[in-house]
Amino acid sequence: MLVELHKKLKELIELAEYIRDIKGEEFLSIGNICNELTDFYHHFYDYSQEKIISFIQSYEEKLGKILIKAEETLTPYEIVKIVRHPQRFTLLDILENVYDSYMELGGEGELNIDPAVICAKAIITRRVGDEVYFHQVMVIGHEKGHGEEFRRGGSAAPWGNEKALRYMKMAETEGIPIHFYIFTPGAYPIEDYPGAAQQIARNLFYMSKLSVPTISFISEGGSGGAEAIGLTDLRLMAEKGYYSVISPEGAAAIEAKLKDERPPRELVEKMAKALKLTAKDNLQLGTIDRIIPEPPLGARRKDYEFFKRLKYEIIKATDEVVLQTRSLKMLRKYALSKQNFENFSYYVNWELSEDEKEILIENRYEKYRKMTQWAVLEPKSFFKCLAQRGTRLGQSIAYEVKYRVLKSGQKTFKRFFEELASESSLLLKPVSDPIKSVYNLIVGKKIRTKVRMPGEIEEETEVYVSPLALQDRTVTCPQAEKFGCPDLWVPDLYGEFCGVCPNCGYHFPLEYNWYLNNIFDKGSVKTFNDEIASGNPLNFEGYAEKLKAARKETGLNSALLSFEAKIGGISVVAVMLVADFRQGTVGVAEGEKFIRAVEFAKVSRRPFIALVHTTGGIRIHEGTMGVVQMPRCTMAVRDYVDSGGLYIVIYDNNSYAGPVASFLGSAPYQFALKSTRLGFAGPRVILETTGQPVPPDYHSVENALKRGHIQGIWDRRELRKKLFFALLTMGAPNLYYR
Amino acid sequence: MKDKVLIANRGEIALRIMEACELLGLDYVAVYTKEDEESLHVRLAKKKYRISDYRDMNDLLAVADEEKCTAIHPGYGFLSENYRFARRVVKRERPLIWIGPTWEVIRDLGNKLYMKKVAHKLGIPVIPGSVEPIYNEIEAELKAQEILEQAYEEGFEEVSFLVKAVAGGGGMGIEEVKNLEEIRPVFRKVRAYAKRLFGDEGVIIEIKIPLFQHIEVQILGSKHGEYVHFGTRNCTIQSPFRQKRIELAPGFYQMGQYNFDPAKKEAEIIEHSLNLARHFNYDSVGTFEWLVTPEGKYYLMEVNTRIQVENEISAKISFVKNKPVNLLKEQIRVAFEEKLGYSQRDVAFKGMSLEFRLIAEDTKRGFTPLSGVITRFDYKEHPWLTMRTHVPKDKPYTIPTQFDPNLALAIIYGEKFDDLMEKSKQFLNEIVIEGHTFKNEPLVTNIEFLKEKLGDVYKFLSI
Repeated sequence: MLVELHKKLKELIELAEYIRDIKGEEFLSIGNICNELTDFYHHFYDYSQEKIISFIQSYEEKLGKILIKAEETLTPYEIVKIVRHPQRFTLLDILENVYDSYMELGGEGELNIDPAVICAKAIITRRVGDEVYFHQVMVIGHEKGHGEEFRRGGSAAPWGNEKALRYMKMAETEGIPIHFYIFTPGAYPIEDYPGAAQQIARNLFYMSKLSVPTISFISEGGSGGAEAIGLTDLRLMAEKGYYSVISPEGAAAIEAKLKDERPPRELVEKMAKALKLTAKDNLQLGTIDRIIPEPPLGARRKDYEFFKRLKYEIIKATDEVVLQTRSLKMLRKYALSKQNFENFSYYVNWELSEDEKEILIENRYEKYRKMTQWAVLEPKSFFKCLAQRGTRLGQSIAYEVKYRVLKSGQKTFKRFFEELASESSLLLKPVSDPIKSVYNLIVGKKIRTKVRMPGEIEEETEVYVSPLALQDRTVTCPQAEKFGCPDLWVPDLYGEFCGVCPNCGYHFPLEYNWYLNNIFDKGSVKTFNDEIASGNPLNFEGYAEKLKAARKETGLNSALLSFEAKIGGISVVAVMLVADFRQGTVGVAEGEKFIRAVEFAKVSRRPFIALVHTTGGIRIHEGTMGVVQMPRCTMAVRDYVDSGGLYIVIYDNNSYAGPVASFLGSAPYQFALKSTRLGFAGPRVILETTGQPVPPDYHSVENALKRGHIQGIWDRRELRKKLFFALLTMGAPNLYYR
Repeated sequence: MKDKVLIANRGEIALRIMEACELLGLDYVAVYTKEDEESLHVRLAKKKYRISDYRDMNDLLAVADEEKCTAIHPGYGFLSENYRFARRVVKRERPLIWIGPTWEVIRDLGNKLYMKKVAHKLGIPVIPGSVEPIYNEIEAELKAQEILEQAYEEGFEEVSFLVKAVAGGGGMGIEEVKNLEEIRPVFRKVRAYAKRLFGDEGVIIEIKIPLFQHIEVQILGSKHGEYVHFGTRNCTIQSPFRQKRIELAPGFYQMGQYNFDPAKKEAEIIEHSLNLARHFNYDSVGTFEWLVTPEGKYYLMEVNTRIQVENEISAKISFVKNKPVNLLKEQIRVAFEEKLGYSQRDVAFKGMSLEFRLIAEDTKRGFTPLSGVITRFDYKEHPWLTMRTHVPKDKPYTIPTQFDPNLALAIIYGEKFDDLMEKSKQFLNEIVIEGHTFKNEPLVTNIEFLKEKLGDVYKFLSI
């Protein structure tokens, strides 16, 4: 009896301390209660049993009331603290309590590829009447641990995410569903191979078409780290979980423009509210599908009721995803809604047939395509809508006819032509100018063997002059001391030198217009979807004003330009992230424009080029609305690449974080100009997270190349030529000029 | 305000510009670098500034601003054919007069391919070869084949090719190819070299003219659309690295043995040169270089958009209204927008002239330029001899290593060919250049080489 009371008292102390940690010492004098409880605990054996019982009873009541009050007054920042608390349940607790048996893969405990990521083959059981059914699943997730150092709080290292990907593939081979559990403050920001950003991008790219049902459950969803295993068919979220683009502390530091000192508490609280990071907010924003209820102040490692509920919900979610791929949807849905949370009324086989797999992937694409679309700001009238839909349909039919129907005819000509020509350069010509060569062949002109090169294509027209070049002054090359470069006259530097020191090759930054005017054929750039504007979906305080200022300053509506253009006569669809507009950060508008451009490139069978003038990551003011652009855009990329296109990304200046870890980093061809700094997180974030400073060249292109992030380092002066050559030689056969 | 010229060059050309300025009554400022302190151009200049490098545009313009110069004369070499400098000089907030052709002309004619293309369009013969840069080896081979056919059609036998970097020059980035199979590897090699050295991968293929004479036309244009020429020069005698050693004016020896009518060919070459000059609105002194084959075929090679080292031999044989000409003076005059004041009819040619380039170089060991100290530099004065040099006679002179190795130009005038040859031999026997290298070996010069080559003048040679 005494032992039980002792245990109960201990639990009370834990609860009181927990409340104190979440709500603060001052909250209903919980601090004092804690002290009283521990005092009593120290003298436990001095008291009589009756005394102990009454003490425990009174305090149980007291704490019960406090708990209810605490729940009522819960703020977003307190939720963040709940999630981070060592008493909160972790993935291992779930594996113990939700699943019936499991076996960790890729290591256990400290002996692990990455202790922050757990992969396990698990069995989950379902009871239908008297029958018990076993389901095999793969469980992949972050393990925060209850305060163990080596878990790094659930921050997955690049190889941790790689491990996750490997076991996703294994689940795919075995045809079993995957349950993802997201418990991460963010990915561990180190660039070591396979690279933080690169691996997340790879995961997203692969998950877009994973042919097994995938469910994710978010307790702590820290931005890109969460997305690494978060692109799933159904996204559940713990009621007391948070899902955010950045930690409230991080947002506060950026907002207050702090360098080293800690942001004030009030600002952190304010940010937690503004970021809309709670489960309720996220459900409203449409970035998650369902909330799993938790007891007051959140579930802790011994809340067995919660685990029971979670088990039910996760089975139900998997059922739902599976059933959506099957016929008789309505009936099943009805049955699903009828079943109660104690018992299942029927059994669902989670194995998918080939057709069902296809539907699964289609459903997934649809789901992400629609996500956040409600927040797209686009001037729309009824007629315009109708007209738009009409042109889109017309376009896709026209392209279909042009390239699928007519192309077979063209191919016969080509074969005939190939037989005529013995030299391989003749093969290159139809690549560079298919229509003309076929035409020549038909009308019987003698074909001169000549490959068009960009140099010839350039006609003398008005030359674009960079506004930077309009000054009579000289600048000193930053590498002058090392290489003895002479001072550069500004009109030369920003004119013919393309912003590159001719002596040492140092690249000076240039404005985005330079690229538009110098990479593409003169006058061929035609922007589209310009009217899609960045909005303020979270009503983030002060953000509307910032957007207004950016719009006024740049004349743009978002940080992403999408346009059609030509390079050496080859028509391409391209996008460009522009530094001038909020540091090239990505939000809803940018994501939507990106996807529309990719889709346009797909239907028109053109190469797709993404130029990165600079990107600072996902725009924090749009919260998870911004974060989900990572999976959304990556899905579009995957769809385009699989359809047989050519996707090339070219980085310049600073390219960091979310976009690099998703739709940019997943490109099969990535190149960087010499001046690029490329990576996942900046040096300061790395220092703060890992405690280790990084060398100054950590994010240099040379290192990005060594890590396998990019396929090559280009010189800005040769950008146009290299791109043209890439268009001729790379990509799949579905491009219109193949 | 009185005009003031910044002389952005060194050595004998700086001295000649100084002389021309004095003749025109213009102020001038000279510049020099540390290595040139002993040079005569520094000693004789009234006003001078020390700069870090003759190629340092920022230094030069700083001096020009400090001295309130109104014009800049680039001489030859260094920045003289750098169109970016020419452009900067006229485009800056305090613009200066550029004594030379406009920057656009320097750019367009300096681009050999572009020049070739325009010339081709104007019906001016150019060396058979590609007129566009080639970037890929398959195309290179096809082009070579095409050129070969063309060359056979034109009557060439045993054709070999020159694979050249577009951006190259002065013997750099050129490789000879004897048969078609070698085109690809050589093309790749030259392309890689060109990219590394000039940052431009463009390569052209031309046929190699086996035997030729190097003929050039001296043109002068004004800003008022006037054009005159000062005849031709023959610069066939060169070092193996295509650097001129003996030049003669006129370009053809009318009494010589030719398989064609030299007077007719000369007139044609001059006419083509003037046509091209007119096309570009050429408004300064310029030299149009041609290759002439023993059969009388001629091809335009390149245009030098500057005053040339050997300009004075043309001046020696040309007389405007019976008065001698100074081409530097004329160049400065037209830059200040003056009219010529005469036309081609007023230009008469009389006599012949020859120029030796005296250089401390080891002609027996790969023509390596030598450095060292000249302890004795002596020659006899003659009315028919003009010496252009920055080397002082009265004290030892250390040859700087980083510049053009020319020590002196000896310009000899004769009424007739035999007379000219006599005087030239006499000069070569009289001239004394003595000194020692830094290793204390006696300093070698090219005097013996010049004596030997004097017999080859007006002959068709191969390199």
